[in-house]
Amino acid sequence: MPLSAASINIDDSVLVQRSQTGDLEAMERLILKYQSRIFNVVLKMCGNSDDAAELTQETFVKVIESIEKFKGKSSFYTWVFRIAVNLTLNYCQRTARMATRSLDAEENESDSQGRQGLKEFLSDDSAADPAVLAQRRELCDLAKAALLKLEEPQRAVMVLRDIEGMNYAEIAEVLNVELGTVRSRLSRARSHLREILEAMQK
Amino acid sequence: MKANPQIDELLCSFIDGELSLRQQTEVQRLVARDAEVAKRLRQLQNCSNLVNALPVEQAPVDMLEQIKRSLERQSLLSERSVSAGTHAGAWHLKVRRFVAAAAMIALMGGLGAVVYQIVAPVSPGTSGPVAIDTPRPAPVIPELLPPVAAPMVVSGPGFSGRLELRTAALTQADAFLKAAIEDNGLKGLTQVQTLPDRRIYQIECSREGLDRLVADLGTIWRNFESASLVVNTDSFTEPVVLESVTPRQTAQIIGQDSAEACVEAARRAAVLSRFAQAMPGREILSTLENDQITAIAMPEIPRPRQASNDPETKVIEAPPQGGVQTSLTIVLLNTQ
Repeated sequence: MPLSAASINIDDSVLVQRSQTGDLEAMERLILKYQSRIFNVVLKMCGNSDDAAELTQETFVKVIESIEKFKGKSSFYTWVFRIAVNLTLNYCQRTARMATRSLDAEENESDSQGRQGLKEFLSDDSAADPAVLAQRRELCDLAKAALLKLEEPQRAVMVLRDIEGMNYAEIAEVLNVELGTVRSRLSRARSHLREILEAMQK
Repeated sequence: MKANPQIDELLCSFIDGELSLRQQTEVQRLVARDAEVAKRLRQLQNCSNLVNALPVEQAPVDMLEQIKRSLERQSLLSERSVSAGTHAGAWHLKVRRFVAAAAMIALMGGLGAVVYQIVAPVSPGTSGPVAIDTPRPAPVIPELLPPVAAPMVVSGPGFSGRLELRTAALTQADAFLKAAIEDNGLKGLTQVQTLPDRRIYQIECSREGLDRLVADLGTIWRNFESASLVVNTDSFTEPVVLESVTPRQTAQIIGQDSAEACVEAARRAAVLSRFAQAMPGREILSTLENDQITAIAMPEIPRPRQASNDPETKVIEAPPQGGVQTSLTIVLLNTQ
């Protein structure tokens, strides 16, 4: 299950206030608190761990540089993710061609066992248990590849919802879009992901 | 089931718990009634579950250190850029100071030129509007009129230059020159500068007035150890220097109608003088010294004369105004 954002937000405001007064320890605590979540989301969006680490690092550098300007109109949680997602989307747009070539290569290399597992997953009309799915490594690899084939806006909304566990309002705030846009974009993303997976198992 | 965007949105919102209680109830009823909708719900749910099942990746353990290093790098870079900015600022400051100084000098120069234009007398060398003057009747002295004297109706710049006269008897020469200037009515047109080793007379007057003065000087010319005439040209070329100039040569040059003609006459005289110096036997030079050649072409220099023979009622005739304007600086140099 995704982590609950609300439970983490409790003392964010205190840490942010202390960080704004130059408290380095408070800032370090904020970084340690969010670094893996940011890294995970960025990695699922960009597909490369080195780039994800660099983007995460860049995100927190920007956070530190801009913390004094943070007015608290939104939560720190959505603010930091907004910075990370924007950086990642810019990165994805810059490296779109490279990513596509890379994905094609990965897809060709996927073994038959993965394809078989995918076929079973798609043909199974029963609801799949995420815990069981997580143990099927080949299937996960294909899912990651399929995720990277989504258009960036759809990928972003799906990652924020299904991986980070944000609600629609938080996603709308992070992506700076309307709630209805999140709704339709997420629906299309899931539908499109299914189509990609179906195409991959053939 | 063929994908229906509206149904998909509703089902996704149902999966994510984004529907109101009433909407959730409606979706549950719909799913219960329609097997296709139920299947689609499971498909979408499985997609969500599959993505949610992806392993959670942890950030590199040294992420915090990397962030600190990155901040240090940025800090150094910003310091460098500030340092570079300081150097650039210093350089810009120097340039700005230089430009400001240049602008000040240019401004001072411009102001000086304006002030000079206002306070200085009209120089023959300056190009100004050509005024048409009504000719004043020249003094009727038939025997002294130049042979080709014609009334000058157009004012314009004529001779401009400097006459340097070296003498061991500065005081006497100075007294004579002062008297000559006064006699020829040029006192008001002359600025005098007295220095320990020299006297400088700057005379701005008509060509006729200067002719008379040079004629007076001619009477004591042999008392000068040397005489040289510097004829100004335009501002872009060197002046013409005529060494060992005679009074007649001086009068001839001054007597030209325009500044250009004065320069040309001075050049001709200078060439002739150099040629004479180079000739063996110095016949030409002696001829020049005796003014034999120049005398042929020279008009008679009108001499100043008193309007009355009575010394008590001596009236100084003012030189005719208008005509060609000349500028002569006479420098009496003490050789002792």
